[in-house]
Amino acid sequence: MLSAGWVGFGADTMVDVIWITMPFLLAGLWMTFKISLVTILCGSILGFAVGMLRTVGGWLVSATLGIYIHALRGTPFLVHLYVIYFMLPALKIPWLQFEAFPAAVIALSLYTSTYVAEIVRAAIQAVPRGQSEAARSVGMTAAQCMWHVVLPQALKLMIPPMGGVYVIIIKGTSIVSVIGISELVRAGEHATQRHPRELMLIYGMTALMYFAYCYPVLRIARWAETKFGSVRLPS
Amino acid sequence: MDWILDFYNYRVAVQYVPEFTRGMLATIWISLVSLVLSLTIGTVAAIMRMSANPVLWRISAGYVQAIRSTPLLIQIYVIYFSLPALPLLGRRLDELEGGIIALGLNAGAYMSEIIRAGIESISRGQIEGAQSVGMTYLQRMRYVVLPQAFANVLPPLLGQTAVLIKDSSLVSFIGVFELFGAGLTVLSERLMPNEAFLTVAVGYLAIYGVMLFFSNYAQRRLGGVRG
Repeated sequence: MLSAGWVGFGADTMVDVIWITMPFLLAGLWMTFKISLVTILCGSILGFAVGMLRTVGGWLVSATLGIYIHALRGTPFLVHLYVIYFMLPALKIPWLQFEAFPAAVIALSLYTSTYVAEIVRAAIQAVPRGQSEAARSVGMTAAQCMWHVVLPQALKLMIPPMGGVYVIIIKGTSIVSVIGISELVRAGEHATQRHPRELMLIYGMTALMYFAYCYPVLRIARWAETKFGSVRLPS
Repeated sequence: MDWILDFYNYRVAVQYVPEFTRGMLATIWISLVSLVLSLTIGTVAAIMRMSANPVLWRISAGYVQAIRSTPLLIQIYVIYFSLPALPLLGRRLDELEGGIIALGLNAGAYMSEIIRAGIESISRGQIEGAQSVGMTYLQRMRYVVLPQAFANVLPPLLGQTAVLIKDSSLVSFIGVFELFGAGLTVLSERLMPNEAFLTVAVGYLAIYGVMLFFSNYAQRRLGGVRG
């Protein structure tokens, strides 16, 4: 079955091609999974910090972070990726020298943080004003009011839109293939070079794998929305 | 001042102004054509999605689901590599047309969700009123439902347009020259990533700024109309 593989291009049947490329593509999917998981963690933490600071900080903090968000929202992720990938060596940190993985995670996390920050802000503002007024009037400090009253209610509202952000990240990981990370798209490209005749089949398999990863996330997000309610994602 | 020239040598950027300008115009042109295409696809898909015919709405829902859960890069590759098999208009399509089709199909799915929300926001009385003065289905859509629907969802439509403009940078990977492609040119000719991509970033920010201005204007304007 595999023996004819190297004799010449196109010598394999479709089943052979699926059989040969599947482990390769699955390795790519595993890389996509790793990057998206690290990114959703880092991006959420960063985004939460930015969103909180933007809500409780003074006008200067708020304006600075507003510029940060608009600068990242106004430029394509591809540009962030290239800028960060080529700027890291200038930082003179040995383990960041032209390393693709940290560059990809940093760029994706910064990009994710803008979405998360907007969600955090919208969720905090969606908590009725009476809640914090009541908390303050029973003598809570501003921090206590935020921690014990506002955040627990706001966190629930943040869960559904985070599903959408996770899907944005998963799809964003496809772009980091251009700086040489062997994730799913890159694995697919390599497979097409080996089996040029079955190009559409291989890209179809790749697309199906993305679908298998993204679709459950979207479904869970929709389920969470009916359970917790949601804030509108700022577009 | 040396460290600034080290970090960003503006003289190099100035040398490449013609490339950047050409790239920016190409980005605007590609985005405009894709926008028209995506709004057309989006409107048709939204109307199909709301139809009572199960075949029609399943096709539309499947299209939106498929586009939303696969990355744009894969969609661009699939369309690009199927171009030889797509002899539309009696000739083979080139990279630019393939890229525009991919962008239009991708944005169309998101647009259709927004437009559907807009159509659903139109009150039943409007449609009944249009029916009672004897309008056909197409007339109702054209003169009563769609104008109000688009006005109601203009802010998210503009937001999606901003995403479309940024996404258009991806077509540079199938060999279409646009703003990001101009950056790639500078990188390959001069090996100066900062001069290349920070300049490109400023270009995209300029387009984004204009979009923000229009968005605010439209919101003010529509707010004024509705009182």
